[in-house]
Amino acid sequence: MEILAFASFAVLVVAWLVAPSRDNVIAVSHKAEDRKAA
Amino acid sequence: MPTTISAGDTAWLLLSAALVMLMTPALGFFYGGLVRRKNVLATIMHSFFILCLISVQWVLWGYTLAFGPDKGGIIGGLDWLTLRGVGQEPGPYAATVPHQAFMVFQMMFAVITPALITGAFAERKRFKAFVVFTLLWATFVYDPVAHWVWGGGWLGQLGALDFAGGTVVHITSGVSALVAALVLGRRVGYGREALEPHDATMTVLGASLLWFGWFGFNAGSAITAGGLAANAFVVTNTAAAMAALTWMTVSWLHKGAPSVLGAAAGAVAGLVAITPASGYVDVSAAILIGLGAGVFCYTAIQLTKRLRVDDALDVFGVHGVGGAWGAIATGIFATVAINSGAKDGLLAGNPGQLGIQAIAVGASIVYSAVMTFVILKVIDVFVGLRVPESEEVLGLDASQHREAAYQI
Repeated sequence: MEILAFASFAVLVVAWLVAPSRDNVIAVSHKAEDRKAA
Repeated sequence: MPTTISAGDTAWLLLSAALVMLMTPALGFFYGGLVRRKNVLATIMHSFFILCLISVQWVLWGYTLAFGPDKGGIIGGLDWLTLRGVGQEPGPYAATVPHQAFMVFQMMFAVITPALITGAFAERKRFKAFVVFTLLWATFVYDPVAHWVWGGGWLGQLGALDFAGGTVVHITSGVSALVAALVLGRRVGYGREALEPHDATMTVLGASLLWFGWFGFNAGSAITAGGLAANAFVVTNTAAAMAALTWMTVSWLHKGAPSVLGAAAGAVAGLVAITPASGYVDVSAAILIGLGAGVFCYTAIQLTKRLRVDDALDVFGVHGVGGAWGAIATGIFATVAINSGAKDGLLAGNPGQLGIQAIAVGASIVYSAVMTFVILKVIDVFVGLRVPESEEVLGLDASQHREAAYQI
């Protein structure tokens, strides 16, 4: 059971590495906020 | 077995009762953040009002129905009506603490259970109907099922394991929530407009306070301040963390971003799932239980949304499914190495325990569903369950309470 516990945590770590990243969306959002602040 | 009062056990149990008491207002914040701004006071009021209502119901007749001397395995006798005979000496359930300490610890469980259901009918239920429903539900659903499992009733006699309330608290409330959502119907605007949470920070704060209070819920259920309480504390924290990580990861892969609300809901799902198992399993099992909670509860919520069931704050997915998974997982992972007074589960060579757990899950699902349906239908005839559409559009804070949450 310990092996399963380690394996399930390892699966999560790998998932975080391959999960989609949306840097462009965040950049757009920041620009919009900057415009609003200006 | 000692029969004198232990200062350590008593202090731990009273502190645990206070921790569990905090969970109900915490639930109010958890739910309050998830509703629209015009309904936040009404939603918080559900939890706060139940804290007051069931505190009185429990001392008058709730405790004796749940824990009074057994009548045929079904219900407790009326011997302890208005706490007659429940005093400072130990009672039959805990040899080292005053009977009143055990009673008040159990009171806080009776309080939070109907409060969990309120998330399903949020933003549309008439306050008067909610009051009557809560009183009837506590009396005719919670008290009997608590007796079946913990008060010497038929499920306890059968050997069902439920350390802190997977069946008694979470399956009953989760299934009742689903029934309530179906009977009340969808909110005005459901599927046509965004019914978005008005304050995610409030929800995360509520989830954090729930997590804190849950240490009393699970570790307090050891009743003694010793190794069993410590184990329950550790596995509770582990499962909550693992479920939060899992839910966030699944939602990240599914919807493209690591959701903050998802992490909060995942933590609660993990806390729910570990609840029945917390006195019987080790930390590796807690990781697997948390993993399962994150996957199963998230999937259940997607399914209810696809079926267009307006369980407004996902009570069935988190508590019904999480509670059922936890109860079944107890039958898989339980081991006497953790609790010598309990029984082994499937993986320790006792497959029969899994069958007993399945019976407990099935019985609590069927009984809760039928009774909740009957109670709601009776209330609908005499009081009316929903507010009129115009009041729902206006919001329950104004229409039911004539107050506003924010003056900003």
